[in-house]
Amino acid sequence: MAVVVVTIGYFVLRGPSEISAETIKIGVIAPMTGDLAFMGEGIRDAILIAKENMGNTKNRYEVIFEDDQLDAKMSASAANKLLSIDKVDAFVTFSSVTGNVVAPIAEQNKAVHFGIASDLNVAKGKYNFIHWTPPSEENKVLIVELQRRGIRKLGIFKGNAPGAIAVIDDLKEQLKGTDIEVVTEQVFNSGEKDFRTIIAKSKDSGSEIYLLLAFSPELEILVKQMREAGITTPITSIENFEMSEQLDLFEGEWYVNSADPTADFINKFNAKTDKSPTLGAANAYDIFNLIVAANEKVEGVSKPTSDQVVTELMKITNFSGALGNLSVNEDGIIVSKAAVRIIKDGKPVTVGN
Amino acid sequence: MGILPQLILNSIIAGAIYTLVALGFNLIYGATKFFNLAHGIMAAIGGYAVFYFAKILGLDIYVAIILGVALAGFVGFGLDKFIYLPLRRRKASNMVLLVASLGVMTALQAIIAILFSSRFKTLSGNVETQKFFTILGGVITQTQLVILLSATLVMAGLVALLYKTQFGKAVRAISDDEEVARIIGINTNKIIGYVFFIGSAVAGLAGILVGFDVGIDPEIGSSLLFKGVIASIVGGVGNIYGGVLGAFLLGFVENFGIWKISGEWKDAIAFALLITFLIFRPRGIMNK
Repeated sequence: MAVVVVTIGYFVLRGPSEISAETIKIGVIAPMTGDLAFMGEGIRDAILIAKENMGNTKNRYEVIFEDDQLDAKMSASAANKLLSIDKVDAFVTFSSVTGNVVAPIAEQNKAVHFGIASDLNVAKGKYNFIHWTPPSEENKVLIVELQRRGIRKLGIFKGNAPGAIAVIDDLKEQLKGTDIEVVTEQVFNSGEKDFRTIIAKSKDSGSEIYLLLAFSPELEILVKQMREAGITTPITSIENFEMSEQLDLFEGEWYVNSADPTADFINKFNAKTDKSPTLGAANAYDIFNLIVAANEKVEGVSKPTSDQVVTELMKITNFSGALGNLSVNEDGIIVSKAAVRIIKDGKPVTVGN
Repeated sequence: MGILPQLILNSIIAGAIYTLVALGFNLIYGATKFFNLAHGIMAAIGGYAVFYFAKILGLDIYVAIILGVALAGFVGFGLDKFIYLPLRRRKASNMVLLVASLGVMTALQAIIAILFSSRFKTLSGNVETQKFFTILGGVITQTQLVILLSATLVMAGLVALLYKTQFGKAVRAISDDEEVARIIGINTNKIIGYVFFIGSAVAGLAGILVGFDVGIDPEIGSSLLFKGVIASIVGGVGNIYGGVLGAFLLGFVENFGIWKISGEWKDAIAFALLITFLIFRPRGIMNK
């Protein structure tokens, strides 16, 4: 009897804010081990910083990190584990590879999914969103920079991955009507280590610059083998240089990247990790804050449904984020700007937006 | 001439790497008549041993290479003694041995990933320290020359071992008929143990050389085994000369195959070669 009285008393006496406290679980799938672990760690740190700084909220938020080594099979198994065991309400994924795997799973299970991905297919469906500088923005900046430098002949080396394919498809479209010509385009599979024949094929193409779209370690091996083959032509990239820990390999080379995060975010990240933010860290920080903001806006005391969260997300405009003022467009994509950077003394330096 | 000299050189280098894997694989297959899928992981053991001894412990690189080759050999020898030999004594079928070797490969690959992480590692220094040679317009690096030389020496050494020594006679006798070899007094289990040591050591050397040329990760063994097995089947599984022929044929077909088409077709071309041989010449070029 006493237990019943105490139990009833507990529920009657506790405050309304406590009654509505629900736990929103966010599953993050990123490479925590392997060659891109440093990027996964950057994403994890950024989300933890966002969580530490979120202030008072009516809901509780729990983040569960899963390692996929940027391997599609591991991404699928991580997503299924997060859904079936951890019962997550939302996903955050890194890369188009992972995003493309998780997007249909999220859609089918009505879970909100934010991809840090170039491939716009990741945002297909009601519950899928992208927070990443889209290929169209990056290619615009790339073309302007190529024209500014008087480059007319472009050679391409790209991994057979959804992100790289999306970037090149858009680039070719945007190059129509310009005086820049793609003189060679070499494609290789993920995991390839011997690029010598495709390098030989492109050597006499007359390329004035090579655009390299590859993840680590393929990127570093490709550059090494290009140098061994005697190619001294400049190289450039869209994002991928910053996906390598061997930035000295690209010393003096310019490339296109997402725009710089705000000073506030850089300071917070630096204070927590003693490092500069890695590529995608600012996006991850924003995504966590966007998911929190959308959940908090849902009215009522019960746990927000994914449909309610999606409705709130679609309303977001001019959200103050680590990558500036963010708005979600009708396709579920948050468009951010691109910038030109150069590797100077082994570090990325922004030279133009 | 265009890119032809470079394509030929690339094909020869690829063929030399596949040769080193196929030689050991064929040697072991010839004596045991089963597909030792753990053979590829010996390449990873060799490569990671050199990484550990030279880059972590700071030993002299030549000492590290000798230790790496020896370690791969001893692991292969140990696998035979503690896994394959007990299974053979129980008259396990070749399928059971194959599955056991698959388990060994998976387990050792996981252990390497746990010990060294799955991050890519390179054994060589900077590009600037590499020496280059130009042959008829094609470029070859010092490391690739060493690969070529090693493949030639290992092949010559194995041929001499098999055809000029008592040990070689015993191996060939076991390869022809293990039962008869045992009846005439050959200690077949002891000889097969040595064969595992030699074959695994050669695979370890392949892994070390690939580590210097490109780099290593825990999955290096699977990719090398895949090419080594295709080379062996194409050349004539169990036949030393066949393995070499198959390896170079595979190297040339892969590299010339992507001359006019996209590089992403490389593995598909290797498989197409394998399927073609399986359909039209299943016993391989040397038709052993």
